[in-house]
Amino acid sequence: MPENWTEPPGEKIALEDLAAQAHWQREYHRILREMHDAERAGPEGAVEGETGTVGLRLPRNDVLYKVRGRARYAANIKMEGMLHCRFVRSEHAHARILAVDTSKAETAPGVVAILTGADIPPERRMTGTLTQDTPVLAVEKVRFAGEPIVAIAAETPEAAEAACYLVDVTYEPLPMILSPEQALAPGAEQVDAEGNVIGDLLHELGDAQAGLVEADVVIENEYTIESMDHCFLEPPSGLSFVDPEGVLTILVCTQYPHYHHKQVARVTGLPMEKVRVAQTVVGGAFGGKMDNSVECVIALLTLKTGHPVSAIFSREEVFTATTKRHAMKIRQKMGATRDGRLTALDVDVLADGGAYRSYSMIVGGRCVIHSGMPYRIPNVRSHYLVTFTNYPPAGAMRSFGIVKMAFALESQMNEMADRLGMSPIEFRRINAMVDDDRTIIGQKLWDVGFLKTLDAIEPIYRERKREIAANPTRNGRKRGVGLASLGYGIGYSGVRNPSTARMRVAADGSVVAYCGTPDIGTGSDMSLAMIAAQSAGISLHRVRVISGDSTKTDDSGPTSASRTTYFSGNAAYICGQDFKRQIEAAVARKRDVPPERVQLADDRVIVGNDGLSFEQACALIADEIEDICGYGKFDPDIAMNILTFSGNPYATYTFGTDMVEVEVDEELGRVEVVRCWTAHDAGTLINPTGTEGQIDGGVVMGIGQALWERCMRRDGIIANPHYRDYLLPGVKDVPFEIQNTFVDNKDRTGPYGAKGVAEVSLIPIPAAIGAAVMDAVGVRPDRLPMDAEYLYRQIAARQDRRSPTTMATAV
Amino acid sequence: MTIPVTLHVNGETHEFSVGPTEMLIDVLRRRLDLTGTNRDCGMGICGVCTVLLDGRPVSSCILLAAQADGAEITTVEALERDGRLSPLQDAFLRHGAVQCGYCTPGFIITATALLAESPRPTRAEIIEALKGNLCRCTGYKKIVEAIESVAQAP
Repeated sequence: MPENWTEPPGEKIALEDLAAQAHWQREYHRILREMHDAERAGPEGAVEGETGTVGLRLPRNDVLYKVRGRARYAANIKMEGMLHCRFVRSEHAHARILAVDTSKAETAPGVVAILTGADIPPERRMTGTLTQDTPVLAVEKVRFAGEPIVAIAAETPEAAEAACYLVDVTYEPLPMILSPEQALAPGAEQVDAEGNVIGDLLHELGDAQAGLVEADVVIENEYTIESMDHCFLEPPSGLSFVDPEGVLTILVCTQYPHYHHKQVARVTGLPMEKVRVAQTVVGGAFGGKMDNSVECVIALLTLKTGHPVSAIFSREEVFTATTKRHAMKIRQKMGATRDGRLTALDVDVLADGGAYRSYSMIVGGRCVIHSGMPYRIPNVRSHYLVTFTNYPPAGAMRSFGIVKMAFALESQMNEMADRLGMSPIEFRRINAMVDDDRTIIGQKLWDVGFLKTLDAIEPIYRERKREIAANPTRNGRKRGVGLASLGYGIGYSGVRNPSTARMRVAADGSVVAYCGTPDIGTGSDMSLAMIAAQSAGISLHRVRVISGDSTKTDDSGPTSASRTTYFSGNAAYICGQDFKRQIEAAVARKRDVPPERVQLADDRVIVGNDGLSFEQACALIADEIEDICGYGKFDPDIAMNILTFSGNPYATYTFGTDMVEVEVDEELGRVEVVRCWTAHDAGTLINPTGTEGQIDGGVVMGIGQALWERCMRRDGIIANPHYRDYLLPGVKDVPFEIQNTFVDNKDRTGPYGAKGVAEVSLIPIPAAIGAAVMDAVGVRPDRLPMDAEYLYRQIAARQDRRSPTTMATAV
Repeated sequence: MTIPVTLHVNGETHEFSVGPTEMLIDVLRRRLDLTGTNRDCGMGICGVCTVLLDGRPVSSCILLAAQADGAEITTVEALERDGRLSPLQDAFLRHGAVQCGYCTPGFIITATALLAESPRPTRAEIIEALKGNLCRCTGYKKIVEAIESVAQAP
């Protein structure tokens, strides 16, 4: 084994000496104190006790380092002797690999090591989330253009890049499967050894056919949704090295370090205790940092060379080689009676899963379970079929498919309301899920705030409808409003996904809370600190959170599925209570009083009539302080039979309604969203500034998906792997006015009544925009993105239908 | 072939021999360890690599180091003064204008240039100034609000 490298100091803070770190920590505490006091003095300052902070708008510790340019993203870490890794990627979407010739690259300047799939023993070549089906480096064949085949480690990134061009891969092209329809055609080329179907899920409640017969009005539509990219701004990056204890350490931007821990151990053949995966500061993820990107390859290259190895994807690699949102076709039949009661919903989803399985089945399960959510529908048939194709794997992305299900369902709801002559709010209210209703798979609901979100939006909707009816055009553009709703299960679907937290304290009163779920930019570390501190009865400034480290923290699942505030927040709460009991017991022993006479609250330990500051108490129990370790585990009873689709798949649900106002240029087909209103049933807001940030960001991502964002997939390649042609919403493209309402509804099972909100505001936006477009110009979009060209054609076709003479004249 | 250049970065003068295709961002990140300037698209679109070149915001990923010869360059690391955050850094922290933070240095640099030129911009002027910076997390609202709070400060 070569010599060892120690981890660069500073944890998630880049390159500062201890004095500077201490100074800025004091500076953070000064600003925290200022905002804390101002918040408490303000009208919203109704919080628990003297030290409680849940519900206050507080600054995040990590943000202090982010605004200073000192956040330690993985690409910012340098180590002595560090090598740089680049990938040779497939030029073909589907091909057999006949030969890989690396001989010219081996002698290229600066090249230290070359790794091919064949270098990895066959039993260790695969990674994957549910199924290990994805080769670390392709060996026998490639299944999408951009799939990695060879990795080269060199002294500089340029040398590695140049050497990649010297690798000769000989391919035998295979017929490409470019759509699920092609995948299912008889005699189709098989992408996977087990066939072209990834999953075929069906659930039925009641009798959908009978429900449709019973209906007075039936509408049927097919919705087409294109693939999109997460576009987190930080490309996947990581660094591997062997630490002085001989532990292979991977520092990487990820949503789930414990997953990579297991994968790296398996791929390298090392025991898990000899591997550590620690999350660096993550520059956005949105589901796109769940799968293996650089982790396994840099681990293997470090073992091969003995050097630290860094890999950073280019933006083009992000577009071509990381997971995508599934492209889908959704056919929906919906039936309702004349008085507005839904009688049936019949759903068929055909999804493009891309080249490997990734999270396709998770997305599928969630789509089936959420069919018809958040409405009471007695008869539902939901069928989800996902196939392989030769495009990049489709995986997890913000809402796990539900934004697309909602686009179809909520568009149907709006069309049905129009057909019935009802307001979309009235129609939703008639069918809305309420407490004690059951989901289509039989889970009984509680603390359902859905109706409250409709109530919150209704007066705004009426006012805007009236105003727009009086002024239907502005600057030559047609105006309209539209709304849509959502219901969403928090956490993994149908499998237990516990979270745990631990708290330790030092003799000086400084507390560290450990939790496995990483902060991926959402501010979850701050929320967890607030919950843990309040639960323990200590001041927030004492608590530092260490999260997302496979050695220092327990596996608490990923930060995904809006689960961190709810699951890890609950764990932090339980942990805080345990911590408090242990401190009280230790002080009681020292003072020789029964533990019930000791109370830790408001950052003081009260012993009978005597009071100690928290520091004094810690000094008092200094000789046993190392034994104190608060522990909390939150593991709700989640159980679902995936074959019969029955049981309780989620610990709680969140609900909401979004409304948008648009202006449509009929001549150009362009839509501008000018205002947006949201109403969410988020439970208690732990840090309201953070909650609003999640909602605002989700709205804007929803606008992007609705109007512009698509991976242009042509003949097996992604033709727009850069921001020049993949249009991300910029500040001028989106409304400044996003007005958020949080309805008053505490979740009895959440930490201080909180639910999760990270994904939800996105979900209704495309359907709401579709409804607003309909309101403005009378066409009902059935495609995402509903870009200008598409809408221009729809509007033109509508005008043709309305006035055939105009068309004749035009011709 | 290398080109001798003189760069005045954050108040310090450096002499380098740079390659003909070496970008300013590489000089900053690799030679000077100024990693606060992030890299993403490499095409001058996303704005995460924005630095000030003689007071103007530029994308350092598409500016050749040789083109910056003789220029004053300011990166996010130089904005704090005497152990205190700059008013914009402070406002971004307090207003929740930062989530993942990857775009943040670029936004703060762009806003710094805007306020240097026009200390009391309108909301429309702020939005216009930020059009070259992308953010995927915040929805922009809190970023604009943070800058407004500085622009409207007494």
